[in-house]
Amino acid sequence: MSVLSSGEFWAFVGVMAGIYTLFTLGLQVQFGLAGLLNFGQVGFMAIGAYTMAILVVKQGWSMWLATPLAVVAAAAAGVLVGLPTLRLRGDYFAIVTIAFSEIVRWVATNEDGLTGGSQGTINLSGEGVATQYNGAWERFQGWVGDQLHIASKDVVMLIIVWTAALVLLWLTARLARTPWGRVLRAIREDEDATASLGKPVFRYRLQALALGAAFAGLAGCFYAWQFSFFGPDDFQPLITFFGWMILILGGVGRVWAVPVGAAVFGFLFAATRFFDFPPFSYLDSADRAYVRLMVIGLVIVLLVVFRPQGILGRRDEMVLE
Amino acid sequence: MFLQLLVNGLVTGSVYAIAAVGVSLVYGILRLVNFAYGDMMALGAFIAYFANVTLGLPMVVAALVAMVGMAVISVALDVVLWRPLRMRRAGFMSLFLASIGVALVLRQAILLVWGPQNRAYDVDPFKVYVVGSVRLSLAQVVTIVAASTAIVAIGVFLARSPSGRVMRAMADDRVLAQISGIDVNRVILVTWIISGLTAGLAGVLAALVQSSFDANFGFQLLLPVFAAVVLGGIGSAYGALAGGLVLGVATELSTWEGFAGGVDPVYKPVVAFSVLIVALLLRPQGLFGRARVV
Amino acid sequence: MLLEARDVTKSFAGVRAVDDASLVVEDRSITALIGPNGAGKSTLFNCISGFLRPDGGRIELAGQRIDRSPPHRIVRAGLARTFQTARALTRMTVLDNVRLAAPAHPGEQLDGLVLRRGAVRRREREVTEQALELLRLVRLEEHADALSGTLSGGQRKLLDLARILMASPRMILLDEPMAGVNPALREELLAHVLELRATRGITFLIVEHDLGFVMQASDRVVVMNEGRVLMEGTPDEVQGDERVIDAYLGTHA
Repeated sequence: MSVLSSGEFWAFVGVMAGIYTLFTLGLQVQFGLAGLLNFGQVGFMAIGAYTMAILVVKQGWSMWLATPLAVVAAAAAGVLVGLPTLRLRGDYFAIVTIAFSEIVRWVATNEDGLTGGSQGTINLSGEGVATQYNGAWERFQGWVGDQLHIASKDVVMLIIVWTAALVLLWLTARLARTPWGRVLRAIREDEDATASLGKPVFRYRLQALALGAAFAGLAGCFYAWQFSFFGPDDFQPLITFFGWMILILGGVGRVWAVPVGAAVFGFLFAATRFFDFPPFSYLDSADRAYVRLMVIGLVIVLLVVFRPQGILGRRDEMVLE
Repeated sequence: MFLQLLVNGLVTGSVYAIAAVGVSLVYGILRLVNFAYGDMMALGAFIAYFANVTLGLPMVVAALVAMVGMAVISVALDVVLWRPLRMRRAGFMSLFLASIGVALVLRQAILLVWGPQNRAYDVDPFKVYVVGSVRLSLAQVVTIVAASTAIVAIGVFLARSPSGRVMRAMADDRVLAQISGIDVNRVILVTWIISGLTAGLAGVLAALVQSSFDANFGFQLLLPVFAAVVLGGIGSAYGALAGGLVLGVATELSTWEGFAGGVDPVYKPVVAFSVLIVALLLRPQGLFGRARVV
Repeated sequence: MLLEARDVTKSFAGVRAVDDASLVVEDRSITALIGPNGAGKSTLFNCISGFLRPDGGRIELAGQRIDRSPPHRIVRAGLARTFQTARALTRMTVLDNVRLAAPAHPGEQLDGLVLRRGAVRRREREVTEQALELLRLVRLEEHADALSGTLSGGQRKLLDLARILMASPRMILLDEPMAGVNPALREELLAHVLELRATRGITFLIVEHDLGFVMQASDRVVVMNEGRVLMEGTPDEVQGDERVIDAYLGTHA
């Protein structure tokens, strides 16, 4: 049980919670604000991560240039996906977005020349040459650590991720209260009524999709730095489903509910690792992983049945339907 | 080569078609996008594996066991989960998310029991039937026969039987159907039974055609199946059948060199989705769906 | 003339809901569109307001073609509509409902929010004042901060009116404004329509079944039946016309 009290481990959990906060914030903008059923969010995350890594490794760009461009690339992907699909009804749109994220993963797996293929970014410079895109990031991390007099890399990462998350959370909360946010909320509730008041519904939806995609792209970059290499299998639809779960868990429509949902989710996910009592102690580690995911699945179902408004949502304001 | 691909496409397409009908009926009647359907197909395939490889039963029996097993599980799930949610008037999103939870649980259960390794049925993989320029494996022949039978059976059931007609009515216009006094609970029961049967059959056939399968293959199958349902127009069972066949054939034929060199077979799933997206752009309600009315 | 619809057709599944319908609405007039159920009035309305694209024909607003435009562009051109059931945005406050309809708000654009913060604040102040004034007009100002979901059906109709006025339209399409309305509210809505025409010069095209309202308020009446325009004229002309009586009686037989 010594790992339970390990600061490093919980710092790692915190970092993942921060990354998922960014990821899910995108979903909050797309669904909570605009009512879009984007189930392909992990595809945008992958685009962000891969764009950054490819620009740094193959084009020799500085990380400081590559990252904003990666975020823009994710947003552009949002626009490209949205243009042909946003006029579809909600459930069709959901399915098409899953298709999109699987296409991204498929391309990443098969275009070895571009993405390193199924082995991941370790192969970005070709077979046999182990590549790193993390150089600049590690230096930055070290610098921050020196400034703050913190030795642990994980804690520094935690601080950086959560600083970014908190800034973006604050910006998003403000955005929701602007006239722009007002139009989106109206579209979400009744797009025909909103159109009848002179608002170009399609354009707003596209903006919400692109903005949410940008958040996922940034989450992808942080993911890339945290793990120093990644592959297509890091971006399975399961990640998107976790994001949705966090969104519901915290409460749809409330920006500050996202970090709460992410923290609780992270804790749950990590805590199930430590079920060292029977019957779990009879299982080997692979089986335990399966049981953990099973527990997550059960929690999703129970949430939906018993508390669809999430932790911070209110029954009468329930925006889930 | 073209003919071979066409036949391959019909084989794949008929599996999609059967699965798509199951998904479509559940959506049409229960307004539920059943994300767990993929893993139900996988579970069906594994139950058949247990019957065929572990217990040594012939493949036909194993398939039947799988179908019945999945029908039972589907009904049980309705009692335990979907009905309580219906009574709470859960909306589309709640049902969708709950089905994701169920999918997760099912997949992990399969992994717990059977592990992540590839499995294969106890059928002769080398037996080949040759018809003209087309070569068919035993699995493909079995699939064609079983799938065609199932498709015809489903088609007849929906068109002729009183239950079938009622189901089509409910999928078409639920409120109107309810007002005409039909036994909604019975229809729902029949819907889940059919959904379970199709999931079991589609899972076994898909596993047969693939010759080896693992716990994740259900979800991989689910996306083209969803694409088929959407292509055909959600809520239309016939549309689902058509959509499945079209998608299967289109996917296989896309690799034909006659189409400007053909698509790299690795990208077949991408083709399926592209067909869907293009079709929706041209006809947003799907092949057999209804246009939106303000 | 402000609005002209020429030979508009629209079919659904082989049925011609609107069949070569033509009508003209004069500037600053109150025109009623009547006819039995299924006559095609709502479909024509939807075609004019951009919610349906006609299969054939031409619709022009002040000489500008609008039959191919999406709803929001038609609103910008000066033509706004209500729906049969008042579509209040229930999860937003009454005030926000009205403020939403304000045109030309830099705060509704992302670039405006970032680059023109002063203009955004100013416009929002303007919009809020204007919204409150409109709410005062329909006597809803004390509900300004309540969620519009708490309003009664009649109050929602008034909110609809205030909201649509916020969009500063030249012409308003009212879709059965009297449906399900009690007598007191009926008088109030009637008074508003007449006053708005008189003081703001707004033109009205109103689909209505309430013939009393039609007789009292409208300058001209257009009668539709089975997708076509049967006749049009003054309320008196229409009331006595044989064909009109037949059309209504025909559907009740």
